Amino acid sequence: MRIVILCSSVYSETACAMAVRLSESGHVPVGAIALPAANRGTLLRKLGQWGATDVIRYAGAKLIPQRGDEQARIRNPYLQPLLKHKGGIFRSLREVAKCYDFVVAVFDDQNSTDSTKQLKAWSPDLIIFTGGNILRKPLLDLPRLGVLNVHLGMLPEVRGMSSPEWSLLNDVPVGITIHYINEGIDTGPILQRCEFPDAARCASLSNLRNRLIAFGIEKAAEVVANLDRGAISATPQSHLNEDRQFFVMHEWLQARASERLAQSQSAATARTINA
Amino acid sequence: MNGSNDNAMPGQIARTQIAKAQIAKAMTEATGLLRGPQRALPLIQRLVSDKLHSTFEQRHLYSYTTTKRPSGDALNSLLRWIIEAQRPDGGIAAYYSLLTGYSQSYPEVTGYLVPTLYDFARATGDNRAVSVAESATRWLLSLQMPTGAFPGGLHGGLATHESQPSVFNTGQILQGLVRAHAETNRTDTLQAAVAAGDWLIKVQQPDGSWSGPAAYQNAAHTYYSMVAWALAELSDDAGDRQYGFAAERNLDWVLSQFRPSGWIDGINLQGHPNYLHFIAYVLQGVLECGILRQRNDAIEAVAKSSWVLLRKFETNKFLPGAFDTDFKNGQHFTCLTGDAQISCVWLRLFEVTGDLRYLNAALKMNEMLKQLIPTRGGRGIVGGVSGSHPIWSLYQPLRYISWGNKFFADALLLERRLTRSFAASGAFEALPCAS
Repeated sequence: MRIVILCSSVYSETACAMAVRLSESGHVPVGAIALPAANRGTLLRKLGQWGATDVIRYAGAKLIPQRGDEQARIRNPYLQPLLKHKGGIFRSLREVAKCYDFVVAVFDDQNSTDSTKQLKAWSPDLIIFTGGNILRKPLLDLPRLGVLNVHLGMLPEVRGMSSPEWSLLNDVPVGITIHYINEGIDTGPILQRCEFPDAARCASLSNLRNRLIAFGIEKAAEVVANLDRGAISATPQSHLNEDRQFFVMHEWLQARASERLAQSQSAATARTINA
Repeated sequence: MNGSNDNAMPGQIARTQIAKAQIAKAMTEATGLLRGPQRALPLIQRLVSDKLHSTFEQRHLYSYTTTKRPSGDALNSLLRWIIEAQRPDGGIAAYYSLLTGYSQSYPEVTGYLVPTLYDFARATGDNRAVSVAESATRWLLSLQMPTGAFPGGLHGGLATHESQPSVFNTGQILQGLVRAHAETNRTDTLQAAVAAGDWLIKVQQPDGSWSGPAAYQNAAHTYYSMVAWALAELSDDAGDRQYGFAAERNLDWVLSQFRPSGWIDGINLQGHPNYLHFIAYVLQGVLECGILRQRNDAIEAVAKSSWVLLRKFETNKFLPGAFDTDFKNGQHFTCLTGDAQISCVWLRLFEVTGDLRYLNAALKMNEMLKQLIPTRGGRGIVGGVSGSHPIWSLYQPLRYISWGNKFFADALLLERRLTRSFAASGAFEALPCAS
């Protein structure tokens, strides 16, 4: 199967881990398209999401070669098993591409003419989206099977942003959904929905998010294998006429979601002690 | 806030009069600096600040998701501004202009500031707000016309005998009187409220709207749903169902103006764009009246329109200050008063429906507004809510307006009440997925 990865930056840990996981299971991508590392939109978004200190720390870890303490150089520790490489870590998708022999191209916009021209040349069966622009129809129509996304929430219940947090506050099971992207926001046909069994063991929202990303990569690799064997097909989503889109959560509500996570953790601990 | 007197004059003559009034107003404003040159520096500072802000501001998905200024701090500064805007006669100034300073007292806004002042005093224990509310009420009672109506426009703009009765102002003042009566139990306040309510019923049209000489520009307006809200409150306070029925007659007429897109026809202001402020008036009036009269159709209609605005705000982290029909062609400035009103609508919808997305959007909107309230400057500026952002834009340019403070204070008071109640009731059950 010819697979292409789309990502927000060559330094995206999620994209690196996804490429490694696919390659290790015999599905080496034919190529990857990334946005420039200094992309203004991505930079602003990350500044808002992580704060300036974490962005600087992340950039330092990725750009400056360092020795030892690999864990400190990985933002998501649950990706460490995939990012470890020959006594060091993969710091960028270019290093992964060099190791597994595929091409990384960088374009300002994944929907641009140059980008779609490159994609056409690769003639992908499947595109896996790990970050970047909102994708337009010409790009979505390019791959034979579609563009696959790992959504960090259960669809169709929770579409959009801050999905783990909204799931916690709305009593929706925490999990991931692997689906094809269409022109709506998280409204494309579903390939697999997986509840996350370890939510109650997560110490914080960021811990939950990191574990969900790692969980999603594992499940995506399984879905790709099943697609390759023709053993899985997508199901159109229900409730498309209902607006189930959620938006980035304000920190006050995040704190409430965090409390709810802690309560579920306490409840799980109590059950273990009783057992 | 109609923005000018409720004088009725149809067609071309009315348009000419509006243009003349606008030119006269602009001339007065323009000469303001000559009369008060000390205002030049704050004016320049604000212009430069807004220019820099609008040039370099970068909105993104995560904008306004973190608290930069505590809500309690912003609320105190908003109320300080209102208290300082009280004139010697007891009324509250309509605005502080960067060109001309404080305006005269404004009956309409003074009326609907009364509930805000009592709410603030109750929430914070600051009794200065109560004494401001009491003197404001006394002033309002002195303005009531023999018919029970209240006059339009700014106090002092016309001699009392020349003033025209105004449906909208009477409704807004009625809100204040009803609340003042609930707080003080004074008979004279209730009598004044009942007289105002009786007059409103008397001039109401058979279809439930208000038009004619006591309506702004002689026309029916959907934003008079705010009047219906006041009548619904009077019905509960006075224990007289006729006011509730009148409120529902207007509600039915306003609901007939809602389009499937969520847009509301009949705002109907000649010479003005469809400012967010007026759209929000319609939504607030219909929602509050709908809640009081237990009308789910009203709540659902407001939820639909509000959702359109919520999506726009969440997507762009900005709500245009004015729209064309069907929420198209949003203009490139924001109307802070309208923003604050929409925040109130979202918070009330959260309270009614339990949908946390409304609370989330309101928290972000309040965050955005808090960042636009000056923390430095002289009296009339610190804690003021400007008409537009940037301040030179179309809606109430170069002014800090008292009704902006009112609605933003209402939004922060609602935020305070609802977040406290939500946090206190957080007896969450374990996650369904917990193993």
